[in-house]
Amino acid sequence: MSQPQTIAVEFKRVMKSFGTKRVLNDVSFHIDQGQALCLLGRSGTGKSVTLKLIMALMRPDSGEVWVDQDNVVGMGEKRLSLVRKKLGYLFQDAALFDSLTLYENLALPLARLTKKSKDEIDDEVHRVLTDVGLGADGAKYPSALSGGMKKRAGLARALVLEPKILLADEPSSGLDRITASEIDELLMRRKTEHRTALIIVTHDVHGARRLADRVGVLDKGNLVAFGSVDEVSQSENEVARKLITE
Amino acid sequence: MTLHTRSTLVMFGATAMIPAVQAVSFFVEIGPLVAGLLLAGRVGSGIGAVLANMRASEQIDAIESLSIDSFKFLVVPRVLACVIALPFLTLFMDFAGLLGGFLSEELSSHIAPTLYINRAFDYLQWANFIAPTLKTAVFGFIIGSISSYFGYTTDKGAQGVGEAATNSVVLSSLLIIVADVLLIKWIFFLFPETAI
Repeated sequence: MSQPQTIAVEFKRVMKSFGTKRVLNDVSFHIDQGQALCLLGRSGTGKSVTLKLIMALMRPDSGEVWVDQDNVVGMGEKRLSLVRKKLGYLFQDAALFDSLTLYENLALPLARLTKKSKDEIDDEVHRVLTDVGLGADGAKYPSALSGGMKKRAGLARALVLEPKILLADEPSSGLDRITASEIDELLMRRKTEHRTALIIVTHDVHGARRLADRVGVLDKGNLVAFGSVDEVSQSENEVARKLITE
Repeated sequence: MTLHTRSTLVMFGATAMIPAVQAVSFFVEIGPLVAGLLLAGRVGSGIGAVLANMRASEQIDAIESLSIDSFKFLVVPRVLACVIALPFLTLFMDFAGLLGGFLSEELSSHIAPTLYINRAFDYLQWANFIAPTLKTAVFGFIIGSISSYFGYTTDKGAQGVGEAATNSVVLSSLLIIVADVLLIKWIFFLFPETAI
């Protein structure tokens, strides 16, 4: 029996500008819980801004951003903190805290936001690190990790609080194809085993084809195509067709 | 400072006053001010650069995304650390200065340590010592908050790291000097007997 669909993230007529440059122009879309959305588009078209608006690290100029039935636009810090607990964010360069070891990077949110004991935190961190293939690297500092390891560590930190929605900003950029496909596998497992909603900004069309239930194409701030991979590949928009069929 | 004042005091036949002048100078003004300026240079630039680097590399966004208040997590402890540490560093600076003064005097006039200490503290009252030392907590607050402000609010990527470090040192140092003048006037108002 299929599970009922609930909306994980929804944009309603969102606009965002930096100075005179409009990076998102009247963008609306939604994805359901357990689905994966891949956002494609040329550089500087507002893909990463979309993720930051979902995480409320930026505020839109107008429009609404709904995360699991809460409009995060204009929300106070206290309520925002509760909403953010439902979200995980894999940053483009992982954004690991460079003064902390890998173990401490993951233990920090658990120690501050949960009531878990030291032993429980140890077990949880070890479990998540093992899941991403870094079980033996907990004592290392981020500066001692390779690019692929940093991405996996960033993913581990994004997952350590068991988010319902995972945002990933170019999870495979700068990685060789094998490592990129390992990251894709981890994301796919998250989606299928935990029903986590994924919103992935990527330039990797092959990865997008493997992962995505929905593909959105942003061009000059406009969402020029949105739908399944097949639908977007037959889109009337030339940029969308080119991006998905390259 | 010791070498400069010595020749002047000797000229006026006030050789016996050298330890007292050195002690008062260090405890009242030189120790607090130099410790503040040193901390602004060393720690202020560090705080500015570290926070700016964290901003540029999205580490501050990462903290926010983990539902942790980045201001409380990064800024408040740094400001508190500066406020608490600077008075202690000032004490260290005061006594290091006094030790330097003694060594200089020992080399020049072979003064006995006990005599130097007795003469050094002859004119020093508690008010000369407590208030100037505690005023460095204000310097610490200036260093912590100004440096954190420049680092935390930068939006210029890697270029912002250098700018934050430089601006932190320059503005902290200037404000320490301004605050020092105002605090001296305030200390004189509260403890008129210290206006020597």
